[in-house]
Amino acid sequence: MMNSSLLTPSSSSSSHIQTPSTTFDHEDFLDQIFSSSPWPSVVDDAHPPPSDGFHGHDVDSRNQQIMMMPLNDGSSVHALYNSFSASGSLPNFHIPQGSGGGLMNQQGQTQTQTQPQASASTATGGTVAVPPQSRTKVRARRGQATDPHSIAERLRRERIAERMKALQELVPNGNKTDKASMLDEIIDYVKFLQLQVKVLSMSRLGGAASVSSQLSEAGGSHGNASSAMAGGSQTAGNSNDSITMTEHQVAKLMEEDMGSAMQYLQGKGLCLMPISLATAISTATCHSRNPLIPGPVADVGGPSSPNLSGMTIQSTNTTTMGNGNGKLNGNGNGVTKGSSSIAVKEAVSVSKP
Amino acid sequence: MASADKLINTDVPEKDVFALHFLRSLSNLRTQNPLNSPDKSIDRVRKIKKAAYVSMARAAGGNSRLWSRALLRRAAKDDNKSVRFSRRKRKVTWKISSKRRRSNQRAPVVEEAAERLRNLVPGGGGMETSKLMEETAHYIKCLSMQVKVMQCLVDGLSQK
Repeated sequence: MMNSSLLTPSSSSSSHIQTPSTTFDHEDFLDQIFSSSPWPSVVDDAHPPPSDGFHGHDVDSRNQQIMMMPLNDGSSVHALYNSFSASGSLPNFHIPQGSGGGLMNQQGQTQTQTQPQASASTATGGTVAVPPQSRTKVRARRGQATDPHSIAERLRRERIAERMKALQELVPNGNKTDKASMLDEIIDYVKFLQLQVKVLSMSRLGGAASVSSQLSEAGGSHGNASSAMAGGSQTAGNSNDSITMTEHQVAKLMEEDMGSAMQYLQGKGLCLMPISLATAISTATCHSRNPLIPGPVADVGGPSSPNLSGMTIQSTNTTTMGNGNGKLNGNGNGVTKGSSSIAVKEAVSVSKP
Repeated sequence: MASADKLINTDVPEKDVFALHFLRSLSNLRTQNPLNSPDKSIDRVRKIKKAAYVSMARAAGGNSRLWSRALLRRAAKDDNKSVRFSRRKRKVTWKISSKRRRSNQRAPVVEEAAERLRNLVPGGGGMETSKLMEETAHYIKCLSMQVKVMQCLVDGLSQK
């Protein structure tokens, strides 16, 4: 025989359940019924009920009290009431829950069971006796202290969890179930957005040197945006060390396999192009209104400047790479190391479309 | 856009509001430095970035969010301007001080992430974790809106 399990109704709204002023012998029982907090309710069969049974008159009075509960799930509760009046004793019943705030355990019995055991094992070990007018009544879990600290703690955790759920929808790739990784994701996304603002504010100017210097120091392996140099002569801001290293790395990779070299570059947000094309681009962008048109590259894949990405894919003679579609044209004549190194210097970042 | 969360309102105005504020700030910048490019381009970048953030904060509803207020206050402090804010209830700070004693009970995982978030989100220093996450949600929405606006501008202006 199962002990009754009384589940407190949960309502996401903060509706208060007004209890009448009459007192009852078993306040705990009522407190559980009328609790309106969206907390996981307690069901614990193993705990002995504080009282062995309800008296009949108590039940009736309780029934009347119960009638006044506003619950989310009205229909089932009404069914409950019917069974109450029918049986006359206090059956085990469970009040199905409305929208849960979190983990709700639903054990239990339907309202048709009428077991005379007065399971006020509704009361689980550790309920807090509070006067019926208290608003946020909570049923403590088994084995947990019932001091208000832990209750407040749990309330707080609930709140945080629900906010994290809201955040999860905002952040792309928010399908992580782990809280820690989700938080990391959120933090990275905020950083990414701030970086995007920064890059976009740079792009409106044409401050090529400043842009490149700021971005090269921001870290190379991350796919940061690097900008096309207007005229190719403003590499003063670049930290030459990182570029030299990149060059060597690319050259090494190109000896073995072109594809891996491309992938390496792609990871850095760079692409390889013949010098003629690079100079063509730089002269073209010199004349435009915005002499500097970087395509912001970011981990998650920011929006692209369409004109730029269009230009870099056009080459037919040599290998170029578009980040978005990963085209790899056949390397007919072979790009020599010398030219490739220069191309890396003038790398244009192409963001994913 | 409708917020999915009924308890917390993280609605954000439409893109046009952001665009309007941003363009206005940009035109203000232009009138300040009429055509003679100021000394360093870095300064221009910074000014534009600051204008972007400030316009975003204004578009998102000036005082109604903690982060926007903190942002505006920070920006005004840099300019040595005085900021006028309507006085709001300062419950937030009290909350932190009273609960800090028991901070070891909080989930340490969440708390260290919250610490990092606090450094990122403006005005995050005085907030409790739950409030912080609410602010973060709104901040993320506004940031993405601002990014969209700026991107549209760049795309629109960069075509020959």
